[in-house]
Amino acid sequence: MIVLDGVTQVFDGRAGPVRALAGIDLAVGENEFVAVIGRSGCGKSTLLRLVAGLLPPTRGRISVGGEPVTGPRRDVSFMFQRPALLPWRSVLSNVMLPIEIFGLERKSYRDRAHELLELVGLRGFENRLPHELSGGMQQRVSLCRSLIQAPAVMLMDEPFSALDALTRTELSGELQRIQLEQPRTVVFVTHSVEEAVVLADRVAVLTPRPGRLRKTVAVAVDRPRVPGQPDVDQAGRELRDLLTAPVDEGEA
Amino acid sequence: MRRRLLPVLGLLVLIGLWWLATIVFSIERFLVPSPADVVASFLELPGYLLRQSLVTLVETVEGFALSIVVGVPLAMLIVRSPLLERMFYPILLAVNAVPKIAIAPILVVWFGFGQGPKVVLVVLVCVFPVVISTASGMKSTPHELVELFRSWDASRRQEFFKLRFVHALPQIFVGLKVAISLAVIGAVIAEFVGADAGLGFVIVQSGASADTSLAFAAMTLLAIMSIALFYALAHLERKLLSWADVDRADRRFRPASRGRGRDRPPGPGR
Repeated sequence: MIVLDGVTQVFDGRAGPVRALAGIDLAVGENEFVAVIGRSGCGKSTLLRLVAGLLPPTRGRISVGGEPVTGPRRDVSFMFQRPALLPWRSVLSNVMLPIEIFGLERKSYRDRAHELLELVGLRGFENRLPHELSGGMQQRVSLCRSLIQAPAVMLMDEPFSALDALTRTELSGELQRIQLEQPRTVVFVTHSVEEAVVLADRVAVLTPRPGRLRKTVAVAVDRPRVPGQPDVDQAGRELRDLLTAPVDEGEA
Repeated sequence: MRRRLLPVLGLLVLIGLWWLATIVFSIERFLVPSPADVVASFLELPGYLLRQSLVTLVETVEGFALSIVVGVPLAMLIVRSPLLERMFYPILLAVNAVPKIAIAPILVVWFGFGQGPKVVLVVLVCVFPVVISTASGMKSTPHELVELFRSWDASRRQEFFKLRFVHALPQIFVGLKVAISLAVIGAVIAEFVGADAGLGFVIVQSGASADTSLAFAAMTLLAIMSIALFYALAHLERKLLSWADVDRADRRFRPASRGRGRDRPPGPGR
């Protein structure tokens, strides 16, 4: 579904060019959930923006669904670290915003919007304004806004990292449930090992400066997964070892 | 309720002191009239004074409205094109730096003694705060929201009207509130320079005939008008922008919340 081929990204920094990503090769299959993990500043978010078509890569090729990425696409949704809701719009009208932007007929999507809000437990909050909601609820609205696009690919940039630990676990549980009901291709950037092993089919580990793909690890645990479950914890330990181990020159 | 009554009480105290001063020091009526003289002056010519108020009010509101019509699109152009910004922003600053009262006599030459030059001067005075606040408001759209719109491949038009403009509204209102106070000043200055109607004209006329209490009556009407316009705008802001931080920030700084703080039982450390 998504193919990255030798993708390198160079930014013009104040002290000369900065290599954010170097030679990334990665393929994500249809309905596969891939978590991208790494320390801060290893180019995870850049990777996501490249796939979203928000940035053109300096070198290399990216394709989604067999077509080269030249710009943003309607069947690719992007979810940010913060909810990024419009504060003057009600919950419902925030969810409907992409439909409005796409110039689609609003009436035919209203039921779907209600359905999605119900799916994440926000029934009865349709007419509230974002500031009346907790951070977790806001991020749920943001998830609904992503889903109403009926995306073939969902790109998620540390979507739960600004939440408290409990809400975070809750939301990743919900995402897992939604994904089980209707699988989609997801690239999920995170720096949480727990989140990665609970959610992902495969975890891509990036090393920083410049961001290189160190390894991809399959998480072979049956779903639904619960954090604290022995085999989930075991997978988490292995992943953490890999993240903390020094980079072997021959490996990259 | 008490909060609303206190400023009224303060005003009454000041008027009382003023009245007392005119009696105790037996100040001449043509120097400082007593509040009773001012009210008497108004009651002598209520219809006339209200008609003159209406003239000034119309000039003020017309000029203010026109400055929005001119200022907001101008700000949009500036935000949209860095080239235009670099070309015209310094000129805008320069125009603003010219004392408006210096332009007033020329406006009379150009537009005559009617309401035209007054409206134009009001626009000149108001347009600057409107442009500045609108432009800075639209520039301060959070990067994340802009990126969100980009991710949907939204047109620039959609990005402007559905995002940047609405997001700028709280800041635009800051500029509008500055502008509305300036608007009244602009209208009166223009009337000083050359007019046959309006409260500014009344003040000039009564000054010439040493009818100070009539001038005071006109000034009072101006003050009432200015305050009413400001509060009308503030009310509109609260209605329209209930989602914005301004309102919540306001509430935080109201004396009532401090009062609640004092009611809290003292902590163990105190």
